[in-house]
Amino acid sequence: MPLIYYVACSVILFFIGIYCLILKRNMIRLLMGLEIMMNAVNLNFIAFSSKVMEGATHPLAHAFTIISISIGGCVIALGLVITVYAYKHYGTLDVRELRRLKR
Amino acid sequence: MTPVLLMGILITFTLSLPFFGLIGKKIRRERFLISTSAISITLCAFLLSLLFLLNNMHVNSVLAAFNTSPSPEKPNIRIDLLSAYMAVIYLGVCLLVLLFSAKTVARSKITLYFSTILGMVTSMIGIVFSEDFFTLFVFWESMCICSYTLVAFNKEREEPIEAGYKYLIMSSAGALMILFASSFLYGLTGTLNFHYISEGLNQAKEFIVHLAILMLLVGFGLQAGMVPFHTWLPDALSTAPSAISAFLSACTEKIGLYCILKVYFIIFNSQYQEWRIPLALFAVLSMFIGNISALLQDDLKRLFAYSTIANTGYILAGIAIGTSKALSGSLFHILNHAIVVALLFLCTGAFMRQVRTRNLRELSGIRHTMPLTSFALIIGVLSLATFPFLNIFWSEITIIAAGWEAGMAWLSFLIIINLVFSAAYSLRIIQWAAVKRTTYISRRASEAPLSLVIPTLMLAFTIILIGVYPAPFQRLTETIVEASLYSK
Repeated sequence: MPLIYYVACSVILFFIGIYCLILKRNMIRLLMGLEIMMNAVNLNFIAFSSKVMEGATHPLAHAFTIISISIGGCVIALGLVITVYAYKHYGTLDVRELRRLKR
Repeated sequence: MTPVLLMGILITFTLSLPFFGLIGKKIRRERFLISTSAISITLCAFLLSLLFLLNNMHVNSVLAAFNTSPSPEKPNIRIDLLSAYMAVIYLGVCLLVLLFSAKTVARSKITLYFSTILGMVTSMIGIVFSEDFFTLFVFWESMCICSYTLVAFNKEREEPIEAGYKYLIMSSAGALMILFASSFLYGLTGTLNFHYISEGLNQAKEFIVHLAILMLLVGFGLQAGMVPFHTWLPDALSTAPSAISAFLSACTEKIGLYCILKVYFIIFNSQYQEWRIPLALFAVLSMFIGNISALLQDDLKRLFAYSTIANTGYILAGIAIGTSKALSGSLFHILNHAIVVALLFLCTGAFMRQVRTRNLRELSGIRHTMPLTSFALIIGVLSLATFPFLNIFWSEITIIAAGWEAGMAWLSFLIIINLVFSAAYSLRIIQWAAVKRTTYISRRASEAPLSLVIPTLMLAFTIILIGVYPAPFQRLTETIVEASLYSK
């Protein structure tokens, strides 16, 4: 399959993630939107790695992808910790209820 | 070899600080052990980087590199004068913030607090020393993780959690924008190294290159508090502990601006001309929205947060003008604003500790009961109002004059209008703090302890020093611009 299919797929995934960040109200779904965007970026790197080196895969992209998956895991874990505290304080996961700061 | 050694010391020490905390708990001297060791290591690192910068003033190229034989595949660390300059600013601010918070943090949290701040400053130095998107991204995300933790540090209250969640979502989306842009650059050139990307995309006019530049601008500008991506900033800065607000606004903002400088003048130098007008528009938006929102605030920390957004606008204006004079003005403004805003947030922290309020009306007449802190605050606020012979005056004048010379007089004119706004809210702060009568809240206050007053007075002294004698600092920034941004 040509490269453009993979790139198109990752761009679509990225926009699904942005759509999720803009329109969803649940705190955990927002984190899932971030996760979808991360997957789009990783797919893009892997797809390009076969283009950069003909007939083989370029190791730089793979190394970057592994590092980026683990860093993404850290960010999402921290986000879930903050979500747990927010649930303790507010008793809901709806971001519209988090408006102590809107003055 | 000094900078690589510096990074090594900082990383090793940051990772071993939790073990120091354990030992300290055993011998019941946790606060003393942690704060003394962290402050002394930061002081050593600061002196080392300052000496390194001053020793290499005449060198006109790369100062040091980790890989001496560069290749497109290898991640690399590369230090020029600009990165050494930024490292000096970060370590200096970090040193004063640590001094300030040594006595104020709760005992149960002190190890977590100090190791997170040190982790943040270490990753910032990693960002300014990196030469490819791989290294940059790893350090960028570790800086972001530390700063989310610090914003949501008082997890017992609602507001920090809310601000921390907002900051986490927005800033992670920005970091993913940077990552997506770098994946396209990798696809176009087959490398992540700034130098090779710049060579591979020289004079490229494709749509995808400009899309990548836009995504990089959004991702880095989000961290710099550029309007319209600024909404996390007032919330995060007003709810974090005061020392953290000082550190965030003096360093994290500036790292976004540093990366924007690097994107436009090192990586995409040939595409820069088409981006001058969009950058100027972002700068004007940031200035106006920041200053006008600051006019209406009574909460001191929110006011300073909005003025930070406005100052991001001035620095972006210097980047948009783009002559060597404007860039040296921007770099000088980065230094000056880092000092001033650190001073203002530390003073607010001292007020919050002594009076338990940060509302301007309740602090009325605080000059009579807290003279030293109020003196420092008034010096900082006057500098924010571009009072002559204080430091911000000189950098603003440089940017305005450069805009006039480079044919962007409308931008200089808009900056001057904004200076009037900033003078208005600065004078309002001085009126409430120094001229009005005391209230029953401010009458009960007493002067802050010495460990809080010394850092603020040191910063106030630096403001006056740079204001009275700006020539060596201006020469320093001009040398840096010539050596790092125009050397190719």
